[in-house]
Amino acid sequence: MKLFVFPRWANKTRQIAGFALSGAPLYLVAFVWYGGSPKTTDVGYQPEQPVPYSHALHAGEMGMDCRYCHTTVDQAAHAAIPPTQTCMNCHTLVHPTSPKLTPVRESAATGVPVEWVKVHDLPDYVYFNHSAHVTRGVGCVSCHGRVDQMPEVFQHEPLSMGWCLDCHREPEKHLRPPEEVTNMKWKAPGDPIAYGTQFRKDNNINPPTDCSTCHR
Amino acid sequence: MVTPSTTNPYQGPLKGDNPFAQITDNVSRIMEAPKPPLAWYIALGFALMLLGIFGASLGYVVWEGIGAWGHIHPVAWGFPIVNFVFWVGIGHAGTLISAVLFLFRQNWRTAINRFAEAMTIFAVVCAAVFPGVHIGRPWLPYWMFPIPNQMGMWPQFRSPLEWDVFAVGTYATVSILFWYMGMIPDFATFRDRSVSTVRRFVYGLLAMGWRGSSRQWHRYERAYLLLAALATPLVLSVHSVVSFDFATSQLPGWHTTIFPPYFVAGAIFGGFAMVVVLAVPARQFFGLKKIITMKHLELMAKVILATGMIVGYAYAMEMFIAWYSGAMYEQFAFLNRAFGNFAWAYWTMIFCNVLSPQVFWFKKMRTNVWVIFVVGIIVNVGMWFERFVIICTSLTRDFLPANWGAFIPSPIDYATLAGSFGLFFTLFLLFCRYLPMVAMAEVKAFIPEGHIHDH
Amino acid sequence: MKPKPDSRPKYWRSLSELEGDPEFHEFVEREFRSPVEQEAPTAAGRRRFMQIMGASFALTGCYWKEEKLLPHTKQPEGFVPGEPVHYATHMELAGDPVGLWVKSYDGRPIKVEGNPNDSVSLGGTGVAHQAAILGFYDPDRSSKPLQRGEATSSEAFDQALLLAFRAAAKKGGQGFAVLSRATRSPSLLRLKAELKKQAPEATWTTYEAGYCAGPDKGAELAFGHKATMRYSVEKADVIVALDSEFIESGSPGALGSVRSLASRRDPDVGEMSRIYALETRLSEIGSLADHRVAVTASAIPALVALLDARISAARGEAGAQAAPSDNALGGAEAKKVIEVAAKDLLEHAGQSLVVVGAKHAPEVHAVVHRINVLLGNVGTTLTYLEPAESINGGADDLAALVAEMEGNKVETLLILGANAAYDSAADIEFKAALSKVKQSFHIGLYVDETAELASFHAPEAHFLEAWSDSRALDGTLRIGQPLIDPILNGRTYVEHLARFLGLPETSGQAIVRKTLGLRADKDWQSAVHDGFLGQPSKSLEVKLQTIAPIALPQAVELEVIFDLCPKVHDGRFANNGWLQELPHSLSKLTWGNAALVSPVTQKKYGLKDGFRCKVTVDGRSIDLPLMIAPGQADGTVGVVLGYGREAAGVVGGSKKEETDIIGSDTYKIRPSKAPHFASGAIALIDAREDLGITQDLHAIDDIGRKGQKDREDQLIREATVAEYRKHPSVIEHKVHHPPLLSLWQPPVSYDGHKWGLAVDLNKCGGCNACVIACQSENNISVVGKKEIARGREMSWIRIERYYKGDENSPAVRQQPVMCQQCENAPCEQVCPVGATMHSKEGLNDMVYTRCIGTRYCSNNCPYKVRRFNYRNYNLEAYGITPYTGTDEPRAKLKAMAFNPEVTVRSRGVMEKCTFCVQRIQNVKIKAKNHKRAIVDGEIKVACEQACASGALVFGDLNDKQGRVGKAHSVPRAYELLQELNNRPRVNYLARISNPHPELSTQDGHAEHH
Repeated sequence: MKLFVFPRWANKTRQIAGFALSGAPLYLVAFVWYGGSPKTTDVGYQPEQPVPYSHALHAGEMGMDCRYCHTTVDQAAHAAIPPTQTCMNCHTLVHPTSPKLTPVRESAATGVPVEWVKVHDLPDYVYFNHSAHVTRGVGCVSCHGRVDQMPEVFQHEPLSMGWCLDCHREPEKHLRPPEEVTNMKWKAPGDPIAYGTQFRKDNNINPPTDCSTCHR
Repeated sequence: MVTPSTTNPYQGPLKGDNPFAQITDNVSRIMEAPKPPLAWYIALGFALMLLGIFGASLGYVVWEGIGAWGHIHPVAWGFPIVNFVFWVGIGHAGTLISAVLFLFRQNWRTAINRFAEAMTIFAVVCAAVFPGVHIGRPWLPYWMFPIPNQMGMWPQFRSPLEWDVFAVGTYATVSILFWYMGMIPDFATFRDRSVSTVRRFVYGLLAMGWRGSSRQWHRYERAYLLLAALATPLVLSVHSVVSFDFATSQLPGWHTTIFPPYFVAGAIFGGFAMVVVLAVPARQFFGLKKIITMKHLELMAKVILATGMIVGYAYAMEMFIAWYSGAMYEQFAFLNRAFGNFAWAYWTMIFCNVLSPQVFWFKKMRTNVWVIFVVGIIVNVGMWFERFVIICTSLTRDFLPANWGAFIPSPIDYATLAGSFGLFFTLFLLFCRYLPMVAMAEVKAFIPEGHIHDH
Repeated sequence: MKPKPDSRPKYWRSLSELEGDPEFHEFVEREFRSPVEQEAPTAAGRRRFMQIMGASFALTGCYWKEEKLLPHTKQPEGFVPGEPVHYATHMELAGDPVGLWVKSYDGRPIKVEGNPNDSVSLGGTGVAHQAAILGFYDPDRSSKPLQRGEATSSEAFDQALLLAFRAAAKKGGQGFAVLSRATRSPSLLRLKAELKKQAPEATWTTYEAGYCAGPDKGAELAFGHKATMRYSVEKADVIVALDSEFIESGSPGALGSVRSLASRRDPDVGEMSRIYALETRLSEIGSLADHRVAVTASAIPALVALLDARISAARGEAGAQAAPSDNALGGAEAKKVIEVAAKDLLEHAGQSLVVVGAKHAPEVHAVVHRINVLLGNVGTTLTYLEPAESINGGADDLAALVAEMEGNKVETLLILGANAAYDSAADIEFKAALSKVKQSFHIGLYVDETAELASFHAPEAHFLEAWSDSRALDGTLRIGQPLIDPILNGRTYVEHLARFLGLPETSGQAIVRKTLGLRADKDWQSAVHDGFLGQPSKSLEVKLQTIAPIALPQAVELEVIFDLCPKVHDGRFANNGWLQELPHSLSKLTWGNAALVSPVTQKKYGLKDGFRCKVTVDGRSIDLPLMIAPGQADGTVGVVLGYGREAAGVVGGSKKEETDIIGSDTYKIRPSKAPHFASGAIALIDAREDLGITQDLHAIDDIGRKGQKDREDQLIREATVAEYRKHPSVIEHKVHHPPLLSLWQPPVSYDGHKWGLAVDLNKCGGCNACVIACQSENNISVVGKKEIARGREMSWIRIERYYKGDENSPAVRQQPVMCQQCENAPCEQVCPVGATMHSKEGLNDMVYTRCIGTRYCSNNCPYKVRRFNYRNYNLEAYGITPYTGTDEPRAKLKAMAFNPEVTVRSRGVMEKCTFCVQRIQNVKIKAKNHKRAIVDGEIKVACEQACASGALVFGDLNDKQGRVGKAHSVPRAYELLQELNNRPRVNYLARISNPHPELSTQDGHAEHH
């Protein structure tokens, strides 16, 4: 009886299949590595806020200090979101009737808070402390980017664990005098790394990389 | 090179004028028969039922959480790990028969090596199920693989569990390759004998264009030899690594240097027992008495006896070392093992693994199919209990008496244990029906007619 | 899980921005107050409510969940979001106030700590105080006034009460009765007086289930007037405790006493005191004692008499008790010990102390007063103080009231918290009597058994949400301030009284301030800030009167001894899951009560361990499980009160909610005439009981028992003080092992901090306060009886209990075991995903979010201190899951008890103690922010803070002069299982006993000589 024979083109399929099979794992790894990373998923997150508050205007053009609103940034874990009161300090006089500010005025009148949307949102099993960084000389800009140029705030850095570790392992890249932390334009005198290294030595800054540093 | 063994199971010609065709017929008929024997249907039905239970109970575990299992505070490892070690162990005989015996030119292996290998793979499949579902968060085991990630986290290579991942992974890969390699010529045979196009296509695909040219044969045997050489160390490595899970820990009853050889011997012991248990019905129902002869069974019985003695020696040694160590906790662990709450499990193990094989000292017993079959089953039970005794009873009573507890299996424990057999037998029965159960090509090489120059 | 349309904050810390918002409480109330609003909450209201309440759970990353930030509209002065603040307050339990510091996180109380400046408690706390947080956030607490079970308004309640009182007042108060619990609150006393003024005929009855007449009446018999006893145990060289609970939390001044007692039990600091304990059950003093004998309660008077005879004779004093016959003395050993003790007392006259259990008769107390006076202990080890005014009372008082009610003399009954329908003695028919009362008003935390029968009920304010005051044992005042507005709309007793008495000031604050008479704001503020006020009361000169001979009770065949439960007290804490699941310090029983008998009694009556039995007193009987408790006096059955509640709540058992009744109600057999110990009978009921025990859950066979014996001496090392002084190395030599070599050098140098803990076995009496403190601090879930019975308890710190000596006269040893933070940690090396790693400071960090649950770490931990979430316990206990949270309001309220500083674990992850790493981190950051070093004792871990006896000390081992550095350096410090070379960071200070030479061959330690 006649033997069963595959068509000639079938010979190619073997190579193709082989190639695909060996390529698949590599693709998978790459997909998890890059595709799954906050670099891809989170950076640029820019939710719409109830009030179109512009940091570019307040912090940038008018040059208000971050700490005018985020008062507790250097004494507590949270850089407090300012109470409505803080807005009204000026806006009772400045643009007292601007429609954009209606939610703020309502909040001040009714006592119901303005519902800001959180932009820089760490997982809940991560315990980040602003004061621990700000008082050591890590500038706001290092994690939040040039907020003073953002009409609406967006996430500038991945805020991933690897990203945190980069800085905890070599903090010198991001160190500056504590009085300069809120200065978005600050440049290190001379070679930034050399400066950072020296500053780190002088102030004995050794960020821990233990699990319990952030996870409890 | 080792001198070829003189033991040839095939004395005298097989019936029929063309023994080669005979063998081909015998084996291929199983696949070509329009209907497999009724026994096959009954067996498969039963296996599928167990498999259903397996699926259901595992689904329940994942949904409800591993609280469904019998684990308690001191006994954090229970049935799942016991089953895992048990099944990994079963696998060994396959690799031993196909690889080691091949290298040692034990020709008689040819009749049984195929489904011994199949058994290996199915056993590894069963084993592989358990670690994944026994962990607290079954959707995360991939964290044990070294995948680069944004957290900058790697698995911890100091952990024996991590070693397992690689050991078992390698083992599974090589076994599958070895198994498949061996089947290629037989697939070709099936392909050429098939009438239906579907089968021709499928077997043709599997045969990868085998034509049986001498060049192909030459390469085939090369590759086969190489894979055999590769597989041989794995026989030792896999179960040694598995034993490290316990040997490297600090728990009295686990922390024992004798474990690696002891586990390997045990694995071969249990594995051969399982081969016997599978071979006896297989040759019965698929009419392979000619190919898997009594001689085969007898030889395997001898292996079982030998390895059984090794295991027995290991049990004795454990006890001796515990006493000799003078370490209070160590001594207590073994006293407790033999006379404590779980003594019944220990003595079951001793009876099954040490005493029952002793019957094989007598030729009468070695050559009695039923005795061999029954002892095979007993030994498998014993090997399961060995793992249970080591893992669970050691955990129930460790250092601080305030932590002592007892282990009470939950229904899910039993269901998964039975279910894993369902998975194993389902796969095996399908194999019997649709794949070449005996390495025809190899057998042919060793029947008397195969040795032309003898004349 | 899909993103929810209503997005809500995920975790506590996002609350920081919205806490203090005036709307907060309103929303809580809207959710819990009137059923009308509960049925139809406004969409906006409900959503906002969730944003507030939802915050407390879902401590896991769900990136796709949008988070809202809700700042204040007006920021309170000096408020820093997310910064915990401590407020001083106090908790009064049965008339005994304990000063507290309560940690408030964004306006939410989350942790109770002892106030270290408290002159009586000296900073200690008991389980009841530690567990108050859970009780506070208990959704079963009453949240709305009821009229005949139907919801009504608080106005209606006030109106009805006012009318009833006015009507009674017209008749001079006739037919108006008040039933309250014991208290020493000056404000309540003031308003009581006011009530008497307006309605002289009105009666005020006080019923406290645990009331003991002995101490007060005893003083009257001895001196002819009342006198408050104040111990200075630290001055006592010899202490004879006769069936006494004076160091057990709950009895007045106990927390201070145990600390000063412990201060004399450290052989490395000064001379050790010697303790003799003769008692019916193994008490805390019994487990610390150098000599302990189990005797029946009826033998105590005889022993006291003998002691008095010997002392008087030696002192040449007349009027002594006659030395009783030997067979009245409860055994030869008891006699011998008391004889020796008498000698010892005389040798240390003036530096000794004799105490007797409050449950004993006034005559007995009188004699003990006499003994102490004769020994010249007055002024040194104890002082008599002018008794402060207080209200207290027991079964007799209740019986009188019930008689009134039966006689239809009571038209209006105002019940202040008392739950007489449940905890009255068996022969007092309070329920029936209550039905004869025209109108009854119940004010309490729960709609309990009594509230269900009352015509009106109003919710009471929990002490954490109310202004309060009380007078401590030494006469100084305690002031309690609210940490939050009443979240369930409750009011305190005084607020209610002030309302219907028509007083000008009706707010709790005003009332308390008026009582204390602090006009100047400065004084008031400083008093509130400190939490205490005023001078100790003057000490009294006492003159002995002749004391009539004690009528020795004839020994009965079987004594049934009633004690308050060390966990749920008289039943009032029955709905507290933490306390229900707390293992009893001896039986290790959780979720229920049992009859405890000695092995001898068990054999005598053919009882079976773990089976049910029938206990009968005066023809009334109940059945409850039986447990063999070595150390219980032969011929006695020990039962605790406070179980079998039928209207406690979902946790504690409720007929209405159809939840399991927990334990058996022993009040049903408690006679009013002999409420503390009575003659009774016991019989086996052939029915097994699955008990929720956390130690020896399964029967131990002979091999196991032998194994235990062999290792106990190594695990709990001990020596007598004599041996220890002679060879300080005696402890070290308890274990001999080959040199400890490691394959690799320790990876870390620990040159920064090196955290360590020391546990002094000489001081731990097993009071369990640390266990609850840990649970509260670290969000440890409650697993329920079923899981406990399977052996899956979760507590991070467990107190291991070992009996030493033979089972008929055993000594007990309590050993707290928590994660030992090994430097050479077996757990770290086996985790395949690196979920538990070593920190530079030597902690075994546990990263819950990395754990995949292989449980290998637990197998490899020789101390078995790791706990695994086999089920989603938070879902089961709190009704919430860290992943998805819940919309269920009750669950939201419960979840508010979580400590926001600690991740809430979910199903399938391992968890364990990390030396309260959250506390370490916060202090470290603060210190570095201000560029200063951390001072020793600045970081207090939860267990250490709660420990009344100071048995636990935490600190930096690199600070050799620090408390823990010193503790680790004494010769009796040893590592548990050191031969394994895990190099644990916890050191145990060996148990050093101080037996009397004449007895030292008879007591349990003899075997170690």
